[in-house]
Amino acid sequence: MKIKNKLFLIVGFSSLTTVLLGVFLYFTFQPFYITHLLIGLIVSLTLFIVPTILILLDSVIRPITKLTEGMEIVSLGNLGHKVDVRSNDEIGQLTRATNDLVSKLVTANQNLEEKAQEATRELSRKIEELDFEHKKNIEVGGKTLVEKAKDEAVLASIGHGVVTIDRDGNITFFNKAAETLTNWKSEEVIGKPWFETVPEMAGSNTLVSREGRAVFKALKTGQKIFTTTVILQKGSGKIPVAMTATPIIYNGETIGAVGVFRDVTHEKEVDRMKTEFISLASHQLRTPLSAIKWFCEMLLNGDAGQLNPEQREYTQNVADSSERMISLVNSLLNISRIESGRIIIDPKPTNISQLISEVISEVKVKCDVRKQQIAVSIHSALPLINIDPQLIREVYANLLTNASKYTPPGGEISVFISKNGDELVSQVSDNGYGIPKKDYDKVFQKFYRGENIVKIETEGNGLGLYLVKAIIESSRGKIWFVSEEKKGTTFFFTLPLGGMLAKKGEVTLDS
Amino acid sequence: MSKQKPTVMIVEDESLLLQAISKKLELNDIATIPCISGAQAIEHLSNLLELPDAIWLDYQLKDMDGIEFMEHLKEKEAWAQIPVIVVSNSASKSKVHRMLTLGVRKYFLKAAHRLDELIPIVKQFIEENNTQI
Repeated sequence: MKIKNKLFLIVGFSSLTTVLLGVFLYFTFQPFYITHLLIGLIVSLTLFIVPTILILLDSVIRPITKLTEGMEIVSLGNLGHKVDVRSNDEIGQLTRATNDLVSKLVTANQNLEEKAQEATRELSRKIEELDFEHKKNIEVGGKTLVEKAKDEAVLASIGHGVVTIDRDGNITFFNKAAETLTNWKSEEVIGKPWFETVPEMAGSNTLVSREGRAVFKALKTGQKIFTTTVILQKGSGKIPVAMTATPIIYNGETIGAVGVFRDVTHEKEVDRMKTEFISLASHQLRTPLSAIKWFCEMLLNGDAGQLNPEQREYTQNVADSSERMISLVNSLLNISRIESGRIIIDPKPTNISQLISEVISEVKVKCDVRKQQIAVSIHSALPLINIDPQLIREVYANLLTNASKYTPPGGEISVFISKNGDELVSQVSDNGYGIPKKDYDKVFQKFYRGENIVKIETEGNGLGLYLVKAIIESSRGKIWFVSEEKKGTTFFFTLPLGGMLAKKGEVTLDS
Repeated sequence: MSKQKPTVMIVEDESLLLQAISKKLELNDIATIPCISGAQAIEHLSNLLELPDAIWLDYQLKDMDGIEFMEHLKEKEAWAQIPVIVVSNSASKSKVHRMLTLGVRKYFLKAAHRLDELIPIVKQFIEENNTQI
């Protein structure tokens, strides 16, 4: 029942009771006094209103209090709490509506939470993406992470071992090939000292000192260092490697070094085979050549009886051919020695004038036969120059012999030695046949002989200038020429006045 | 006792070269003891009543190399006194140096020299050795 109806009922019922009570009192207390009536009215009103109020309180205040308490519980966080409802009046409806509201609120809250979580997840994903993008573009040593990743992929995929070390010699990077070559895993060596972790062998039993290591030298000198060495692998293995150490220079300061190394086992084997071939060639070819040479000599000497002119001519032809063959073998051997890098370069303080005089006295015999003049002009104040006399003698001998061979009888040959800055410049000129223009780029090639001179001068194997160039270049010098057909040729070459660098090798020329 | 002719022992494993050298020396009035191997040379030295005045040695023999041969020569005092010249196919610095320290008087590269150039040198060593004795 609605509260309004209850009130009406109560008020109606109490008014009726009051009127009935008044009537009853009026008839009971005659004569009528208005005072009695009023007292009666007040008493009856009081008697009926108080319980009415009490009833009202019970049906209205109590549910409201319950609702208030319920709301307090809900507000404290217990969203599942429901207020008990029995009545169907406004308060009951209010309570039900409140309960409903709370449960809707709970559902809404749950949805909201889910949505918030979803949004949070989305947000953190976005943040991560942004962070990655950001990191990608952070410059690391002048490179972005993307570039760095590319570099690492390149380093990982190349066949050479690559190791980087910091300025203290500790390993900071170790690529796949380095792992294969040393048997160490990258994670085992990062942060460890390179020199102790991967030692190098100096001899069969001794290790290369720290100061002797290429990477150390690169760190200390800031120069690129190349060496061949033997590294000890993890375990007991060892392999020969070619090692290039390059300093890492940042802002003018050496902050570390890179070592790049490769297995040269195969190259060593090829080298050994080449050496064997050279020794085989020298032995096996020189033996029969010596026999031809010596028997021809004896025939020509008349040791087997006098030869008639025709026999003498033929025997001389055999002897000449064998000499050419011997010189060819010698040239080939020398080229093999230079090419193999096994040649010993043994610089000694040398008096160039004296060396040239010696060479000229040898060549002069042939020049005299051909009635050629040799003029020599040498800078007067040349210091002793630190060169390998045997190698440089070979250069002058070849150039002078060529000048004589490729100049008609009666021609002129001149040698001019000057100083230009820190270089010694040598010129060997002739007024001979010259080099055809179309052959200019072939002059220093192996077995090249000028088209114009092959017919004129049959002697020559096309190896002289190739050898000369190889010697000059291994002496840190340069060689070039100017030429005009039928006018002559001038060969120029330079040698550093500082001298040649000594090189330990195994062989010398003509041995 | 003075000998009629000086004698040179030739140790050369190439028979043609051995023949050429012997012939040339004989033409120059030198007696020869041609040996085709190192072992044969050592055997001859052990059996000969008179030792040769010089030894002409090839470095690379089939049965031994020059270094081994020189070490054999050191086994007997008298053998070690015989002057040795080496005429070889290869004359690398280290090889030449090694042989000279082992007592070899002179080292020649075979194809680079005429026999005519070598004979006087052999003769000279024989003379030097004889005057010393």
